[in-house]
Amino acid sequence: MDRLKTTWEGHYLDGQTSASKKAEIHPLAAGLSVRLEDGGRFLWSYEEIQQIQGRYEGEPVRLERGGDSGEALIIQDTDLLTAMRELSPAAASRFHDPGFRGTRKWLTFYAAIATVVVGLSLYHWGIPFLANLIAPRVPISWEKGLGKSELDIMAPAEKRILDARLNRVLGQILSRLAATVPHCPYRFEVTVVDLPIVNAFALPGGSILVYRELLETTQTPEELAGVLAHEMQHVLKRHTTKRLIQDSSTALLISALSGDATGSAAFALQSAGKLALLEYSREEEEEADREGMKMILAAGINPQGMIRFFRTIEGKGKEPEFLKFISTHPATADRIQKLKAIVAATPNAPAPRALLPGTDWKALIRETRRLK
Amino acid sequence: MALSDQPRKFSFYGQGGTLFGMHLVNLFLGLVTLGLYFFWGRVKIRKYLWGQMEFEGDRFSYHGTGKETLLGWLKAMLFFGIPYLAAGKLPQLLGADKILIVVGALFSALLFLLFIPMAVIGSRRYRLSRTSWRGIRFSFRESWKHYFGLFIAGNILIVLTLGLFTPFYSARRDKFLISNSFVGNQNFEYDGKGGDLFGSYALALILAIPTLFLSMLWYHVKRTVYLWGHTSIAGARFQSTVTFGGMFKLYLVNFLMVLFTLGFAYPWAQVRAIRYTLDHLTLNGPVDLDAIQQDAQAVTATGEELASFLELDFDLG
Repeated sequence: MDRLKTTWEGHYLDGQTSASKKAEIHPLAAGLSVRLEDGGRFLWSYEEIQQIQGRYEGEPVRLERGGDSGEALIIQDTDLLTAMRELSPAAASRFHDPGFRGTRKWLTFYAAIATVVVGLSLYHWGIPFLANLIAPRVPISWEKGLGKSELDIMAPAEKRILDARLNRVLGQILSRLAATVPHCPYRFEVTVVDLPIVNAFALPGGSILVYRELLETTQTPEELAGVLAHEMQHVLKRHTTKRLIQDSSTALLISALSGDATGSAAFALQSAGKLALLEYSREEEEEADREGMKMILAAGINPQGMIRFFRTIEGKGKEPEFLKFISTHPATADRIQKLKAIVAATPNAPAPRALLPGTDWKALIRETRRLK
Repeated sequence: MALSDQPRKFSFYGQGGTLFGMHLVNLFLGLVTLGLYFFWGRVKIRKYLWGQMEFEGDRFSYHGTGKETLLGWLKAMLFFGIPYLAAGKLPQLLGADKILIVVGALFSALLFLLFIPMAVIGSRRYRLSRTSWRGIRFSFRESWKHYFGLFIAGNILIVLTLGLFTPFYSARRDKFLISNSFVGNQNFEYDGKGGDLFGSYALALILAIPTLFLSMLWYHVKRTVYLWGHTSIAGARFQSTVTFGGMFKLYLVNFLMVLFTLGFAYPWAQVRAIRYTLDHLTLNGPVDLDAIQQDAQAVTATGEELASFLELDFDLG
């Protein structure tokens, strides 16, 4: 770097035509003194100069005067910037310090690390916190609307089992369970779908979907009550709504990380429509088990039903041990252990009263099947 | 010097590393400002990319601002994004009847069809007006309204002809987009015809599946060369010397790079792509590059026309 240099060569654009003129630039304390090849001379004070280019490797320095006037000086050598900064410390902040480039690299590196930290925190704490905050405030009417649309998709009319007696009986079980919830904001209802699947789903708003084969797997109404209690807890604890919020927020975060600011909003809301693929987290499944069992006990229903049903599921060989860590569903053996522990820890539960006195459960289910 | 017959070259000096660093800082600042910084970050990257492109010894400049980008995005969200999502999702959310859901979906689709031509023209106009070379601003001087008819009719014909109309539509669209683009007071011209490329297009379509879509890349290269070759300004013609082999290698290496680094190498891929395009682009013919005049009217009018209402900066390519 030649500290004794006092003039720099560059070229000048007048912003009126594309013709450029060679220029000699001489930095002074007040500004830049410029002499053009055609004899023209002028002085640009530092306050009116903006540096447009020249902050990166290989970029020539481009200094512009005024707003959109287009008048510009282009100089290859960044030493001019250093000279300008030295001559007028007051104006130094307007111009890039080529020496800063090393520091900039380090700052970039720190920014990268900070990004990873911030990103992970948002994902691990920020988003769940947000979901917990918002979910209880979502109006029930919205949940019901969503639930109704999903129900239409998952339980098409021709596949639904509409048996008056079955529905009355299911209603009785639901009422008994719902009675344990003071000021219950939901009206629960069960829809039975005629498919050979052993599963049940809770939809936002209070709709519960039960598949025929699950019904046939139950030996007593107490077993079904266990399943219904579990699903009701998913609704009461707003797990589905939380899932929706979390999935949308995560999609938003991912879009942000991939740099797509324009599409992120649309994308986030679009992923909110993927209800059918929702799965609950392990914590949420455990909560549904736990609160469901408490509900059973509070309603005076024999808890052995719920436990026996889980044993039946376990017997059907749901998943091998090593999958326990990957799957969001806790292993069935664990779930049974936990349920038993709750029963043991609640000696003051009301004494169990028969759920449907006088009803032959197996016959009821069999007859329903025959009707179809 | 001004009227020489030498081919005039483009160059690109951008570095993948610098771009990568910019993306990182953007990401960080974007996260801590809950997304607000992204608009300024995008402008910064554009300023860098434009500033690293050079033609005949002078660099391009990008004059966009973060504020403009943010405002453009807000306008788009307000007039398209939100109505589109509301009409499409709200009926379902509120459990409305099936009829309302269908009407909502139709409305969304129509809004989307209206939006595309507006956005294509709006973003082109915005980007051109914020680009300059040797201090002279570019501009686009047509309204999206005159593009709308072409867009709708063209796409209907494409569907009806099972895609065969595409080269004809492309030629008309390119003519509209190119011949209404100006640098200063000089306009670009396009004299390409759909028929010239139809043969190649049909061949590429037929061979698409047997060649695992490589024929489409071949057509893309042919079209790129044709497009540049039929674009001219002030009597001088552009020329692109990209080849199928070159493009194939470029895309393949880029793809592998990005894949094996889980996306981190994207800035390097971007730089490679731009460099390849510009290294193979020249402007041929006697043209007085010193004689382009600033068109002051175009510069200020961009803020006043009603058409500029939807002047937005979209990444619609």
